[in-house]
Amino acid sequence: MDPWVEIGLQLGVPLLVLLATYGIGSAVERRHFRLLRMREIRSRSMPVATILEVPPGWEVTGSALVTGSCVVSLDYFKRFVAGLRLLFGGRLASYETLLDRARREALLRMKERAHEAGYRAIIGVRLETSQIAPNGRRDGRTAGVEVLASGTALRLGR
Amino acid sequence: MSFDPRLPRDDVNVSKTHPLAEAWWLVVGAAAAGLVLTVVALALSDAAVRWLPPSLEARLFGGLVEAGAAEPPDHARAAAARDVLARLSSHWPENPYELQLSVLDSDTPNAFALPGGSVVVTRGLLDQAESENELAFVLGHEIGHFAGRHHLQAIGRALALSLTLSAVFGSVGADAVPRLTSDLASKGYARRQERAADRFGLGLVEREYGHVAGADRFFARLPDAKARFGDRAVAWFVTHPVTEQRIAALHRFAQERGWRESGPLTPLAPLDPRAPAAVP
Repeated sequence: MDPWVEIGLQLGVPLLVLLATYGIGSAVERRHFRLLRMREIRSRSMPVATILEVPPGWEVTGSALVTGSCVVSLDYFKRFVAGLRLLFGGRLASYETLLDRARREALLRMKERAHEAGYRAIIGVRLETSQIAPNGRRDGRTAGVEVLASGTALRLGR
Repeated sequence: MSFDPRLPRDDVNVSKTHPLAEAWWLVVGAAAAGLVLTVVALALSDAAVRWLPPSLEARLFGGLVEAGAAEPPDHARAAAARDVLARLSSHWPENPYELQLSVLDSDTPNAFALPGGSVVVTRGLLDQAESENELAFVLGHEIGHFAGRHHLQAIGRALALSLTLSAVFGSVGADAVPRLTSDLASKGYARRQERAADRFGLGLVEREYGHVAGADRFFARLPDAKARFGDRAVAWFVTHPVTEQRIAALHRFAQERGWRESGPLTPLAPLDPRAPAAVP
């Protein structure tokens, strides 16, 4: 094979995959941000707070542990950009949107679950992040990240 | 206590830079860094090769010579080839190497120079040679690689490139970068080395025989070899300059030096001991 054809293939194919995954990834991301905003507006009336004590004046008739979690992974484009970022340092911008989406999604899932079960507020909210390694190996590569939101849901008397 | 139902802001944690712009500048930066690293690594490797004494080279790579000479397949012309090699290297007085020749059991006509002073020729090359002059040029070419220390430069460059570039790009999963860069860096370089070795070898042939007739026969018969041996012979073309250009360059060089391009060819021992010597 002509060496230039070979070089063209070796650089061209990854470039095509990069552009394709960027196109798909950013379309999915825009749609997700739109949906997040809609659901946040819808569930806005439910108080969610990190305080550990029930605020004075609230009449609590019941409580339960509620959780919501979201597991996210990188697309090819984000992984590529992040890989180059490792050479120079700086903000891992391609991960920031991803984790922002995961946090908001986890909080929303927790709120929606609490709302369905008849709770009207959540206190003591915590966010936790854990890395999921592929095949349990620790070779620096990430299969995904889980964001877990948990809190105490309160049923309020009138 | 009142609760302010605020929506989360969706810009705090998100950079303003466009992802494609970020990717572009990262790629440009990495390419620039890779280029600088490549140039530095190659310069360091070439300097190291220049300062490596042949005695240390023989000690470092002595294993290669022994491995190559461990079981030499016997060939009717192996002794003649060793004799030609010794006579040719006598025309290179400052030769610091103890040259040794071994025969590789392969049909494809080819020859290699290994670090430490080992010349390897294939059985196919010895089978095909029509005259001693033709074989002498191939051996002279390999001696030319030793004279230019090309064999070490090639190894040093490949090693330096793969070490430095893999250290940087391998860690981020861009494994294709070192492979491509060393491909690009070595191809043009290899051709320059081949031309230099050609000229050196031709000079040895001229000093040995008083003319350079028959030296280009090996190249002239290559298309024939390709027809006979198929794709196995094609590999030879990848690092070596295009055959016709190479033959033309040999003739030009001989003319520049005023070397005679015709003269009696020395026959080689017949492949079958019972047959009469082939007279070309």
